[in-house]
Amino acid sequence: MYPVLNRCAETLAKALALAGGILLMGLTALTCLSIIGRVFVPLDIGIGPVRGIYDMTEIAMAAAIFAFLPWAQLRETHARVDLFQWALPRKADQALDLAFNAAMAFAAAAGGWQLYLGLQDKLRYGETTLIAQIPVWQGYAAAVAGASGFSLVALFCVLRAARRLAGFED
Amino acid sequence: MTNFELALWSFPVLLLLVFLRAPIALAMIAVGVAGTHLVTGTPMMMLNQLKTLTYGTFSNYSFSIIPLFLLMGQFAALSGMSASLFRAAESFLGHRKGGVAMSAVGACAGFGAICGSSLATAATMGQVALPELRRCGYPDSLSTGALAAGGTLGILIPPSVILVIYAILAEQNIAKLFVAALVPGILAAIGYMIAISAWMRLRPNAASVSARAPWPERLRALGSTWPVIAIFAAVVGGIYTGIFTPTEAAAVGVAGTGLAALASGEMNWPRLRGAVLSMAGSTAMIFLIILGAGIYNNFLSLTQLPQTTAAWVGGQGFSPWLVLTVVLLMYLLFGCLMDSLSMVLLTVPIIFPVMAELDFGMDYDDFGLWFGILVLIVVEVGLITPPVGLNLFVINSMAGGTPISETYRGALPFVITDVIRVVLLASFPAITLWLVHVAG
Repeated sequence: MYPVLNRCAETLAKALALAGGILLMGLTALTCLSIIGRVFVPLDIGIGPVRGIYDMTEIAMAAAIFAFLPWAQLRETHARVDLFQWALPRKADQALDLAFNAAMAFAAAAGGWQLYLGLQDKLRYGETTLIAQIPVWQGYAAAVAGASGFSLVALFCVLRAARRLAGFED
Repeated sequence: MTNFELALWSFPVLLLLVFLRAPIALAMIAVGVAGTHLVTGTPMMMLNQLKTLTYGTFSNYSFSIIPLFLLMGQFAALSGMSASLFRAAESFLGHRKGGVAMSAVGACAGFGAICGSSLATAATMGQVALPELRRCGYPDSLSTGALAAGGTLGILIPPSVILVIYAILAEQNIAKLFVAALVPGILAAIGYMIAISAWMRLRPNAASVSARAPWPERLRALGSTWPVIAIFAAVVGGIYTGIFTPTEAAAVGVAGTGLAALASGEMNWPRLRGAVLSMAGSTAMIFLIILGAGIYNNFLSLTQLPQTTAAWVGGQGFSPWLVLTVVLLMYLLFGCLMDSLSMVLLTVPIIFPVMAELDFGMDYDDFGLWFGILVLIVVEVGLITPPVGLNLFVINSMAGGTPISETYRGALPFVITDVIRVVLLASFPAITLWLVHVAG
């Protein structure tokens, strides 16, 4: 059972992170196009910067960063201070790690749920971005996708930490 | 308990969690949420904020420069430019005593001009320069120390992720900060070279020197680094002249380093995937800390702690220079224990307003630039001091078989030059500010 879950978490986290990366590179290309377009503005031949690139940047960034969260959780890339690790017995360290993983899973789930409520607000009020008039809920929907993945992977990490405490190999 | 006492008590709780190895972001979120709950007496305020706070933080246009700079650094590492930078530096410096180590530092400085992160600079240059240093017979302590110190040039020389974050927190101009960082960054590289030279004189060793390269060869080697120069000019020059917004400039940098990586033939699918995943891990880590620091600092401002402290320090009639010394020493001390990014995010919103109240004989804008550069340097020293200097670990793990104590010892001369540089820059603000004024 555990190997299957492990593979699922890995696949999900990697897929989301890569999707976020593709989004970021797409945005890079679009930004460069927009800069090139701006060069042509004085010629007045109908070529200009990409309209609403500012709004698109904000939406794409939020979507990409939410999509990166599961990967950081799975690979434990979070910044932490290992200064006093030696002072704690191994079991105590692993027990604390389990507690922190549980707290992170709780935070991910609670934050994800509030984000979902935020999405419903945006849907209800039909708010749009300032320049390109993109509905804000679309950004929230993409963010909820990443946040859901984050909650699932964080849940898996609780299991992983518990198994480490019980003395199983990863 | 008054709100003010609550805020004071939150520091030890936060530190305890952090030292128990809680992820720093999680510790800040937990203490911030709990504190806000205690101050307002209801969880509703926090929950309502959370509906838009995470999305609002992650979609902040100013922050969008960070993942782009990280991706740029990843692509730069695949572009083969580290090797051509090292060859160019070696053709100029290789014939001197300690010249190969100096070349490694010089190449780090060049790489720092297209990479905004210390670890990436240390790791990339280490790959190229460590084998060469060993071949020439340099002691492992000096080689690993020089490369770990050289890695910090990735942050000290613009573009720099930490400077971007400082600029946002302290509401300073990113373009001017990048210009202000230039002279101190070059001074850092020179200081490291002096440290190498002193080492070679004080503790003679068997390290060999290369033959003096003739000028045509030097110019050819320098010419082969043109992509670095072009990308640096486009990114930092573009931001400074206002042709690009910082985010646009970072996108241009990503495109430039990406093309260079493609052209070098180093880029393939597995490596691209690796670069993206590594950027994803660091980006998520940084943004969770940004979020956590935001929540924690919101709680602190609810309790009026920053305002009260600023008023108190202002009213005590302390000598500004004394306060600055204490603050910088505190950063040095905590930098040895904590990750530099978390420290900047956590402290700048509190410390900056306090410091800005004090009179250092310069206007607000100049102070913001000067203080930012000082903070940048002192937090970066933590990357090459034991016990948690990340650059030391990165380089040490690449130099198989070198005990970490050797690397600690090797980094010491470089730490000394860092401290001397901080004293110099703090005593003479003009060193940092003149280029900004000239370019103004």
